[in-house]
This record gives sequence, C-alpha cells and structure tokens, in this order.
Amino acid sequence: MTAVQKRILINKLALGFSTFSAVIALGFLFWILGVLMMKGIDALNWNIFIYEGSPPGYEDSGLKHALIGQLILVGLATLIGVPLGIMAGTYLSEYGKNSKLAHTIRDISDIMMSAPSIVIGAFVYAIIVMPMGHFSAWAGAIALAIIMIPIILRTTDDMLQLVPGTLREAAFALGAPKYKVIIDVVYRGAKAGILTGVLLGVARVAGETAPLLFTSFNDNFFTTDLNAAMPSLTVTMFNYAISPYDDWQQLGWAAAFILSMFILGLNIVGRLILLAGKRK
Amino acid sequence: MASIIDIKEECALQVRNFDFTYKGAPAPSLKKVTMPIAKHAVTALIGPSGCGKTTLLRAFNRMHDLYPGNKYEGEIEFEGRNILDPKEDLIHLRTKIGMIFQKPTAFPMSIFDNVAYGMRLQGIKNKTELNDRVEKALQDAALWKEVSDRLKNDANGLSGGQQQRLCIARAIAVEPEVLLFDEPTSALDPISTQGIEKLVIELKERVSIIIVTHNMQQAARVSDYTGFMYLGDLIELGHTEELFVTPKEKLTQEYITGKFG
Amino acid sequence: MIDKIFLNMTRTSALLILFIVAWIFVVLFNESTEAMQAFGLDFITKDEWAPNLDKFGAYAAIFGSVASTFLAMLLAIPIAIGVAIFLSEIAHDKIKGFFGVSVELLAAIPSVIYGMWGLFFFVPILRDIFGGMGIGLLAAGIVLAIMILPFMAAVTRDAMNTTPDILKESAYALGGTQWDVIKDVIIPYAKAGIIGSLILALGRAIGETMAVTFVMGNVHHTPNSIMDPTTSIPVTLANEFTEADSSLYFSSLFGLALTLLIMSFVVIAIAKFYFLRKVRKA
Repeated sequence: MTAVQKRILINKLALGFSTFSAVIALGFLFWILGVLMMKGIDALNWNIFIYEGSPPGYEDSGLKHALIGQLILVGLATLIGVPLGIMAGTYLSEYGKNSKLAHTIRDISDIMMSAPSIVIGAFVYAIIVMPMGHFSAWAGAIALAIIMIPIILRTTDDMLQLVPGTLREAAFALGAPKYKVIIDVVYRGAKAGILTGVLLGVARVAGETAPLLFTSFNDNFFTTDLNAAMPSLTVTMFNYAISPYDDWQQLGWAAAFILSMFILGLNIVGRLILLAGKRK
Repeated sequence: MASIIDIKEECALQVRNFDFTYKGAPAPSLKKVTMPIAKHAVTALIGPSGCGKTTLLRAFNRMHDLYPGNKYEGEIEFEGRNILDPKEDLIHLRTKIGMIFQKPTAFPMSIFDNVAYGMRLQGIKNKTELNDRVEKALQDAALWKEVSDRLKNDANGLSGGQQQRLCIARAIAVEPEVLLFDEPTSALDPISTQGIEKLVIELKERVSIIIVTHNMQQAARVSDYTGFMYLGDLIELGHTEELFVTPKEKLTQEYITGKFG
Repeated sequence: MIDKIFLNMTRTSALLILFIVAWIFVVLFNESTEAMQAFGLDFITKDEWAPNLDKFGAYAAIFGSVASTFLAMLLAIPIAIGVAIFLSEIAHDKIKGFFGVSVELLAAIPSVIYGMWGLFFFVPILRDIFGGMGIGLLAAGIVLAIMILPFMAAVTRDAMNTTPDILKESAYALGGTQWDVIKDVIIPYAKAGIIGSLILALGRAIGETMAVTFVMGNVHHTPNSIMDPTTSIPVTLANEFTEADSSLYFSSLFGLALTLLIMSFVVIAIAKFYFLRKVRKA
C-alpha cells in the first residue's frame, strides 16, 4: 500500500468514525425525545389543565397547580431579572465599554452563566427562606432571576455593541441627551437581539429544577400566595417521577412534555426573531 | 467574438469549451471558455471583479469540488487527460497543480513542518531527504536566509510577505507542474509584493504559472501571456505586451485604459 | 439630570451582579463555618456521613462528583468531537442545518428530563446487563454524558468553524484528504477553542443536579466499582437540604455547596480565561 492509499484509507476510517458517533449521539438524543413525545402525549388530557394534584389513585388529578405555579415563578423571575439584566448590559455597552470594571463584570457573569444552579438555591435559602422561616414563591423567583440576569446582561451587551457607532453620533449631533440616544436609537436598533436574549433567558430558567427545590419548594395544590411554597412543573415532575405510583409518573411525563414544548417553542421563536432581524 | 491567440509552444493546460455553474446559480459563471496555457510561462488573468477569473483558476485544481453542487462542463486537458473527468484522482491532481491564495495561509505549525507538509502527505519520511528538500524549497522561495536559524519556530510569527513566500516554498516543495496564484499580493505591502513578483518570474523556469490579479501593472510586469475576462467570457488572450499596447478587442481596450472596472 | 439618573440606574444594576456573586460566597462561607470548625479538613477527607451521629464527611460526595464527571467526559469527549467534525466538515448543507439546530435545541431540554429518561429507560438496561440495581456511578456518568453532549458538540463545532476556509483550502490544494485537513489544520488551529469548550462543558457537568439525582443512588459511600450506588455534591444537596434537622447538618450542606461552587468556578475560569481568551485575541 502506498502512502497515499494509506491516507485515503485512514481518511475513510476517521470520517466513518465521526459519522458513526454523530449517529450514536443523535440516536440517543432522539431516543430521549421520542420517549418524551410518546410518554407525554400518552399522558396528556384535558383533566391535566383542569384539576390540581391529588393523592395517587384519584381519577381527577391534574397539573393545574404546577402549570400556574410555573408561570407565576417564571413570570416573577422575568419581571425581576429582565430589567436588571438589560440595564446592566446597557451600562457595559454604553458607559463601561472597555473599562476594567466592565470587563470584570463580563467575566464574572460569564462564569455565573455556567455556575451550578443548585448553589444559587442554597444561597437564596440562606438569605430568604431561613430568615422568613418558610418556603416562598418569592424565594424561588429570586433564585431564577439570579440565574437569568447574567444571560440577559451578556446578550444585551453584545447586541447593543452591534449597533453602529455612527447611529449614536447621528443622534447626538441632533442634540439628544445620552439617555434619549440609548432609549430611542440604540435600543431600537438592537430590539430583535435583546428580545431573543430575553426569550432564551426565560427558556433557560423555565427548565431549572435544582434552584427551586428548597426555595419555592412544592405543593400539591393550587395557590397564588407568593409568600407560601409554590408548585412548579419541574419540581412536581421530579417528585412525581421518583414516586412509586404509576398515575403520578404519568403526570410527571405530561409535565415534562408540556415544559419541553414550551422551552423548545421559546428557543425556536427566539431564533426566528434573530434570523428575521439579520435578514433586514 | 473573442480573440484568442494560438500558442506555438507546448501547452501545460488546454481549456476547451469550459462552462462552470455554481450550485443553485441560474446561469453559468464561465461560458464556453477556450484557452491554452503555455508551458513554463506566466499567464495572467485580468478583468473586473466578478468576471470569473478566480472561478476559472479554481477549476484547474478542482477546488470547487470542496463545495458540493457545482457543475463543470467541457474539458481541461492536463498531461493528456481531461481533469474534469469525475474519476480524476484529485489528491494526485492537486500535488501536480499547486495553489497560492489571496492571503498567506501558514498552517498552525512550525516553519519546517509547513514546508514539509505536502511531502509528508506523499509519504516521504526520510529525515535527510525532508531536510534537503525543505532547504531547497525555502531557497527557491528566497526565504532560506531569513528563517534558516529558526525553522522550528511557529510559522505565524513571520511577517505577511515572509508567510506568503513560505506558502510558495510549501507549494513548490512537492514539485508541481503548474502553480496557480490567486491575487497573491493583495494582502501585502509594496516591498513584499515586489519580492513575490520577482519570485514568480524566477519560478517559471520550472513550473507553468497562472496568476489572477486585479492589478494590471502587475500583470504587465510578471506575465508572458494575459487573458482578459469579462462577465464569464474570455474576451482576449494575447502576448502581454501586445494585449496592453495594441488590444484587439474594444472591451479590452476600454478596460486597460480605465474606462470601467 | 435624567441622564445622571439613567447612568446611575444602569451602573447599579451592573454592580449588582458583582455584589450578588460576592454575597453568595460570603453567605455560603458564613453558613458553613460551623461545619468547618467542627470537622476541619476531615470534612473533605472522611467519607462518614452520619446525620444521626452528627458526623459529616463529604469525601464520598466530592469523589462522586469528580468520578461521575470524569466518566461523563471520557464518554462524551470523543463522541462530541466526532459529532462536531460531522457537523462542520462532513454533513451536506441541509443535514448540517437540520442536525445543527437539533443539537442546539436538545441542549435546551431541561436536564431533569434526561434524569427521568435515565431512571425509567436506561437504568433497567444497565440492570439487565450488569445485574444489581443499575443505579450508581456508571448510570450517572452515562446520563451526564448524554446530557452534556449537545452543548459540548455545539460549542466544539463553533470552535472548529472559526478555521478560515482559505486555510483549509490550502491544505486541500497540497493534496490533503478531508481527515488530513481536520487533523493537521482545523484541530491545531482551533485547539484552544476546542479545549476551552470541552472544559466549559466539564464545568457545567460538575454542577449538574437533576440529570444525576435520579440515577446515582444517594448513598454516602465511596464506590468500589462503577456499578455501586454513590452520591455527588449536587445530589446530596437536592436530596437532603429539606430534611436537615440540625444546624451542624445545615452547615455541612452549605459547606458542600461552597465546595461545589469553588470547584466549578475554578474549572469555568480556566476554560474562559486560559483557553477561550486566547481565541478572542487571535
């Protein structure tokens, strides 16, 4: 075998291995997705949206409590996290720029984006749950907001920096004060990007379980009391899945399916917005 | 009607009725190009951006095959065969027809390993042979004196002009028959450009050269033959001095006098 | 006037993130001092975790975290690199787009779902093959590997895609095969980015809770084999935080949280500042 023939053979083997590993990986991932679809759609019915949780064995048990709880927790986290994240990102892009402080903040939020979320839960437990003496929706929402802020901050920073400097100068040249320039010109130019960042940030925290385990804890009943423990899809899913009861496990899969569709939906919409923005 | 001169000497390549269509494009980017390429001479391709000169150049070593869906029609004859044949051995073809790019493309490895790369691909492992041929290639590329004491250094530490000469050394180390230059000086300063041009003229003793350039003065300085392309057609091919002094086609004249382009 | 207010609002928000991070460290440190004082270094070197005796040694949990992450990396890295090569160099445009987006979307699926799948579908298979409970270090490593795979493959592919086309073309122009170009040009060129991406994935894996909680066993016991049930830091936290009944127990759990935070901070910082920073400069 000549050297070139040998290289061609090695090439085929290596590319074969890569393709094979892609098939393996996607096989596993589609297996999981398939399980989620089958189990989830199987368990899906109207009762899920109408009834609250019940003890195992009851006909009319559902996930209404967890669905509403999830929306409240994520909604509250978004209300806290998004304005803070956008403002912080604005500071980095428009004021801090290349200063040492701005770089430090960028670095720290990069690290925070990958930091273990359960640790955030422990932190919020110590600063809110312990002093208050009980679990609460507030604690859960704050834990989620802390996870969300770095994501929003970094995308806002990146997206604002994409707005051309000449646009700012043009607005300044008309005599606009800086805050007006930022709000009227810079934000408008980066609208699609910021919106995408917000959607991806919401999607990311919506799937978090660990930081809620000991902050908003869980409840099997419908509640809107922000000062009490609040059920969420993720924690409910966890509790139901490790329970020994078939009907609870079914509900767990239904919750997994609904949540995944919600998160995938947010991701897809976020991408489409960004794509549409780019095409312009 | 195109005016293509007959080349009396031996030809390195013969392009006949060559059509090229990019993937998904409604019309061919090159239309019925017929063009002889003289052996051991420099042929320059000039024309405004988008005229197809780089597209034609990249057909000679079938670079377009890296991106699926492109379509060749017609014939390019090299060493007695049509290299557009789907069965053509591209690995072999590319060792025979080398290429230099718009920007220096030093690989992320040492200077020595860069030059030795093509030889190693061909299975040359003998240390003395590698050493000798690397030195020879670097000397031929007029780079030996500058780098002989730091062959083990990262090639990315060299200046742009040095890197481009390194790429030339790397290409000639595998002893190709033809070298394709795709605007080789567009990223270089005037002094480095001079060096590369000098090298091109020296190299034609051993290889046949095709050079794409957007710089007419450069074509005039280095080439023996010049082809003028426009909108996918080869408008005129002639001896360089004749084409620039007494062009046969009106379009050529307008282009070289700067009326468009 | 409004300008000043706006500046101050944005600056306060930006400083808030630094403040929160510092606060997290301070709180975790304060809360864990009781355990530190009670056990000293024994906290991380002993593996006796006996809440009824008020004895807390976190060695098993730390070992479990490291071992499951190591196992996950061992399994995921070659496959992720293979997937990344497939996505950046082999697949045709349409497949590339479809699989590329699929991989990114899969990275967004909540990790708790990977855990559920592991418990209900994968553990039984392990049980059939190896006997025993199926739950344990190996199950955790595999589920973790699968969970981290989409993220790892996506960032590795992005790192490989930074290689300029012209550089790849010049290797092809010398008669290189696709694999020659991948191993001699793309991987060396994108080396720092690839390693950084892999370590970043490691940083995520080490702090992952939900994918492994289901399948690890939560037994405070340093495993003798990869089939043994054991625990990890996040698994212990998830299972025991709401059950802790003494202040020393709580303090020990906070000690675990602090240990985990430091471990992942260091890993992520190495990835970001040592490897990925180089990429930005290039």
